[in-house]
Amino acid sequence: MFNQVHMRRWLAGLGTALLALQGAAHAAEVDSDAEAQRILAASDAVRNPSRSFGLTTSLIEYHNGHQTDSNTLQIYAKAEPESGQYRNLIRFVAPARDLDKLMLKNGNDLWFYDPASQASVRISPRQRLLGQAANGDVVTVNFAKDYHAHLSGDEEVEDGERVAHHCHKLALSAASSDVTYDNIEIWIDATNNRPVKAKFYAQSGQLLKTAYYRNYQRELEVERPTETVIIDGLDHQWVTIMRYADYAWRDVPESWLQRDYLPRFKPQ
Amino acid sequence: MPARSSRSAAAASVVRVALLWTLTVTCAAAAEQAQTSAPPGDDDAAALALPFGDAAAASTTRSTSVTLEADQTDSTLAQGGSIDAQRLSIDARSNLALASQWRAILADRLDLLWPGRFDEAQQINTLKEAYLSWQPRANLLLDLGRINVRQGVGYGYNPTDFFRADAIRAIESIDPDSLRQNRLGTVMLRSEQLWDSGALTEVYAPKLAEHASAAPFDPDVGATNAQNRWLISLSQRLIGSWSPQWLLEGTDSGAPQLGWNTTAALGDATVAYLELASGESPSLWRQALGLPGEDSVHTRAAMGFTYSAANKLTVTLEYEYDGAALSASAWSAARHANLAAYGRYREFVAAQQELPTQHSAFGYLTWQDAFIRHLDLAAFLRLDLVDHSSLPYAEARYHWTHLDAAVRWQRYSGDASSDYGAAPTRQSAQLLLDYYF
Repeated sequence: MFNQVHMRRWLAGLGTALLALQGAAHAAEVDSDAEAQRILAASDAVRNPSRSFGLTTSLIEYHNGHQTDSNTLQIYAKAEPESGQYRNLIRFVAPARDLDKLMLKNGNDLWFYDPASQASVRISPRQRLLGQAANGDVVTVNFAKDYHAHLSGDEEVEDGERVAHHCHKLALSAASSDVTYDNIEIWIDATNNRPVKAKFYAQSGQLLKTAYYRNYQRELEVERPTETVIIDGLDHQWVTIMRYADYAWRDVPESWLQRDYLPRFKPQ
Repeated sequence: MPARSSRSAAAASVVRVALLWTLTVTCAAAAEQAQTSAPPGDDDAAALALPFGDAAAASTTRSTSVTLEADQTDSTLAQGGSIDAQRLSIDARSNLALASQWRAILADRLDLLWPGRFDEAQQINTLKEAYLSWQPRANLLLDLGRINVRQGVGYGYNPTDFFRADAIRAIESIDPDSLRQNRLGTVMLRSEQLWDSGALTEVYAPKLAEHASAAPFDPDVGATNAQNRWLISLSQRLIGSWSPQWLLEGTDSGAPQLGWNTTAALGDATVAYLELASGESPSLWRQALGLPGEDSVHTRAAMGFTYSAANKLTVTLEYEYDGAALSASAWSAARHANLAAYGRYREFVAAQQELPTQHSAFGYLTWQDAFIRHLDLAAFLRLDLVDHSSLPYAEARYHWTHLDAAVRWQRYSGDASSDYGAAPTRQSAQLLLDYYF
């Protein structure tokens, strides 16, 4: 009798202790994920200015070490007040055949405008307008708004200039279907939250792209990467180098971020 | 166009084609030379060692674009025989800032044509746009001049594109995108008010001339401003990102026409669209022949979807309906009755960019970087669902930095008096060069 009562109390105590341990582990995991999300948001703030801005992005594409294509884009970005995610208005500047074509991206709502035909055509997020680069590669994106972050540990990683950094490694999973990539691994410098390297994956787990952020310079009050090197995950011989320049604060009125404004857009 | 008959014309044609290809090869070689190279490698280190070339360093303030286009077309005629023709076109577009709130927009195209004989040159100038734009506030714009106002979300047929009638002076290609590009704007006063979730546009286009002009360099306001017209369009975001557009168009002589455009994303690869126009009007047959009678409500529609595959292949399927066009029985009767009336109807419908019969289908395929980098394929099929005649079209286009080289092919198929079978040309092949300055 005594033994049975003792045993029940002991089991109850053990159960409580296990629950407490599980709760503590869960709380630690929640804290860890919250910390991962905070690091990701801080990294976003390094890549992206805090309010509406514009920049010029030049893309050069290589295959087997030979340049195969180049594009120049003027990008205007404005954060959506509620979600905090950026809407992007992109003007094609070069090559000459694409001059003044426009792309408007507002989540899954994408429009392409050709000044020659005055036609605004709605396109799907999957439809690509550039060479190897996806539309999502050239637009301004706050990862922390679109992805759940999980801290996978710390690693030493070489950056785009072959300098080693002590980094937090974050595993990002898409929070919605509006995103270009389902999963991302990103390495963020533990000392200053600068993004160093990222790997982008399809839902199947297939590596799609590897990106290196490099050539940090002071732009709009913060040291930001002014180049991204993107290496194709399927064929490493496809490489796209993106260079960012002409950063400037741009007041983009909300009313310009709609289809009807595209034929009226004038470069600032 | 006269049939090819003389050796001298053929020789001149060969010389012109040879000159075009010389230009191609020279420009292509120059483009290739402009490319930089870097040591090859197969890991991240090799990629990170690549230099950043300077080819992408372009001026963001550039406001003018000029395109030079040359083509050689060989056509087989429905009645037998063949003709060849050459064309050289200069297309310029400029959007100039005059002052902080003022801009001038100019778009013009000059076509030089040699339809069969080198000594029979023709010129056609198309003044596409020429207007002043004033933006007194960020959300208010006022424009005055010739403007190409283009409405609609359909690909092959745009019933809400109310200013398309009689706007084409020279057909460079039957590709619907080319037809939209190379047309006259309408002289109008336009205001546009924008707000965060929508826009209101008002247009007034006055009558400026009685008849269209065939003179080569005439601005041809008679083609686009032969009657007083007005248009109001309203776009408003309603739920999420859903933002339909309503239009109301009217003239001095007819009842107002109502239009509606809407699109929706179905997943991340598909976009569906619907374009509708409806209102009281005479049938196209009555309009073409100037016949009296009672007007009735006619509805026009284009609906379809576009699917994008991961390999840059895009497919569009569209159903088109024109309630003012001839029904199956009326079309059958028209084909076998008065030939002059039938011919006048076809001519009128083509100028109005309407459909000759009530039901049509349109399939459009584009494939960017098909098989090899920089090779773009495009193909479409127009199908008249009433008489089952068809028009297949295909284009292969390779592009360098400043130069495109393209080949096109099209074929009109069907019974002799059918929608597409009645075309004077049976089949055409076209070699095309575009140089972008």
